[in-house]
Amino acid sequence: MTDTIYLDNNATTCVAPEVFEALTPFLIDEYYNPSSLYDPAHGPAEAITASRKQVARLLGKARPDEILFTSCATESNNTAVFGTIAANPDRRHIVTTGVEHPAIFSVGEDLQRRGFEVSFVPVDTDGQIDRVEFVRALRSDTLLVSIMHANNETGVIYPVEELSRITKETEPSIIFHTDATQTVGKLPIDLRGSFKNVDLLSFSGHKLHAPKGIGALFIRRGTRCRPFLLGGHQEGGRRAGTENVAFIVGLAKALELAMENHDEDEARIQAMRDRLESELVERIPYLEVNGKNAPRLSNTLNVACHFIEGEGILFQLSAEGICASSGSACTSGSLEPSHVLRAMHIPFSAIHGSVRFSLSRYTTDEEIDKVIEVFPGIVNNLRRLSPYWDVKKNEPRPEAMEMLTQTERPQ
Amino acid sequence: MTWNYSKKTTELFMAAVSGQPGTHLGEIEDADGFGEHGSIACGDALRFTFRVDRHAEDPKLDRITEARYLTFGCTSAIAASEALCAIIEEGDFTPIDALQITNQDIVDYLDGLPQAKIHCSVMGAEALEAAVFNWAQKRGVDLVELGIDISHDEQEEGRLVCTCFGLTEPYIKRKIEELELESIADISNAIKAGGACMSCHHTPGGLQDLLDQVNGSKPTTMKGLPILPMARAPKAQPPIEMSPFKFAKKVEEIIEGYIRPQLARDAGDIELIDIKDMKVYCTMKGACANCMGSQNTIKMLVEQALKDQIDQRIQVIEV
Repeated sequence: MTDTIYLDNNATTCVAPEVFEALTPFLIDEYYNPSSLYDPAHGPAEAITASRKQVARLLGKARPDEILFTSCATESNNTAVFGTIAANPDRRHIVTTGVEHPAIFSVGEDLQRRGFEVSFVPVDTDGQIDRVEFVRALRSDTLLVSIMHANNETGVIYPVEELSRITKETEPSIIFHTDATQTVGKLPIDLRGSFKNVDLLSFSGHKLHAPKGIGALFIRRGTRCRPFLLGGHQEGGRRAGTENVAFIVGLAKALELAMENHDEDEARIQAMRDRLESELVERIPYLEVNGKNAPRLSNTLNVACHFIEGEGILFQLSAEGICASSGSACTSGSLEPSHVLRAMHIPFSAIHGSVRFSLSRYTTDEEIDKVIEVFPGIVNNLRRLSPYWDVKKNEPRPEAMEMLTQTERPQ
Repeated sequence: MTWNYSKKTTELFMAAVSGQPGTHLGEIEDADGFGEHGSIACGDALRFTFRVDRHAEDPKLDRITEARYLTFGCTSAIAASEALCAIIEEGDFTPIDALQITNQDIVDYLDGLPQAKIHCSVMGAEALEAAVFNWAQKRGVDLVELGIDISHDEQEEGRLVCTCFGLTEPYIKRKIEELELESIADISNAIKAGGACMSCHHTPGGLQDLLDQVNGSKPTTMKGLPILPMARAPKAQPPIEMSPFKFAKKVEEIIEGYIRPQLARDAGDIELIDIKDMKVYCTMKGACANCMGSQNTIKMLVEQALKDQIDQRIQVIEV
């Protein structure tokens, strides 16, 4: 096995050395419970306070008491949904999209089964939200609107600023939540400015080089939201459970690092992503870039290779030491391809052949070179085996051509 | 979910994709047997062909000499296709003997497959069966006479149970019996039914019912539906003096007759998106779409005009 080339940073990231250094003292030396009264517990308690201030400041001068530390973004999302439902029992309508992360999408499906009305706003073939459908879905008695800031699979960015404004202009009492897991530390988030209409915002640490097991939820003052976890006075009584001091410190440090060199890092990452994209498009026929015409995160590239299956691509990439992911059925644990790609009506000749590369500030040009070098061959290997591909002409067989536009199952 | 393929599966896949000699990639032209299973929409598909050494007198004594496949699918689907062809070529089978090869033989050849990938081996066995039936037809062999049940050769007619993968009741029931499937998870792993939208699991006539019918039922209890609190009626809206239809007509009239001509002077335009009570949703078009002042235009021109001419409570929202 060669050295690992890690291009799956939308799944998780490595812990930055600076973050590791900042958090370890709270595992070994300052391990005390921050709720305890004796002197040694002061340090951990102070560290949490400082971290909370730091996180609040870096998200556009939010108030520290508006930041809640949780265990992960999934917990933050569940708290946002179930907390607002519990606090607003007279409302039963929720608006979200068909492309949310499962931590919102599956919760929405579950709520439907429990008798809530949930509107899943559709997206277009570039994965961008249909604004007209969004407006139609809004009602004066809507309880919650939950729309992600950027999509984890395609990197498509949603106009949260605009959508939250339209929501509040429709009815100020509608609560607006955004899952910003993929964007905190990457895109500007100003909770006092452009995000002033956002009431709830979720994110996690492990997407920005903090450890797994730490997340946060911004709850704007005055937002009606009940606690999700009961059993203690921590986090102002809004999230019970002993605070994960070390990881809270790590999260604050990671956010600081992300902001510190943000512009430089982003330009470099985007240049590498763009190069990867244009080289693959040039070298591989019948390759689609998913979300091509929508604004996208600069670190994400989701391509779909017609007439082959993504799992076989990942397996060969893995043999080259390259880590990426796919929305194909064989990699999802379910037997269905990704709900995000289906919502975008990607033709089924391509939907099973999607591969996502997601870069980080630790990605190097050499690593991108390697992918550009091996990926076309990998695609070719599988196309030689495919019953839909004409190897000699290097194009789909004539009878398979019509599949290029079919998006619904023939049933 | 990390890969937990056997060494054999990995080796067969890598040999196949790198086109090593001895692998069975391809399609035999004018094949003696041709069979397909799966489709691109379902996520995997196999095209299987074989050639026989024709026996001079009795076609039943034909021997399969060569087997090839083309497969759209994951690592295990491709490895299972390789395994199928290898088993057949190594065994020196007559096509009728080849029918004895089961998906379990393929699994064994691969030194095991993960539970969730069992359907890859089933796909191989299905395509083989289809190819043998095809051979029998071409060679004029009457399989029924030999006591082979070919009733399921024709696309099994019957009620559609799994709409995602297009699988019918008779097919699923036959497979439950043949493959000794005991749970819904077993069914999904083996033939994919119920593995996508999952809506056929517990519906009447769904997978659980079919399992019960084949394997004998176990008592189940149906819990009552949860009782949900009634939603409070939304707060009363201020009365609009005209019907919603007339209100919408009036808004349109003013946009057409007054607002649009004004915007047109600056090469701008407006589109009415929706109306909810007193809220009017519009999109600015043309030169107005990219104008920094579009919010002001909406408020000063559009909203003011509608307020003045219809109702002071109207609010215009830019989309």
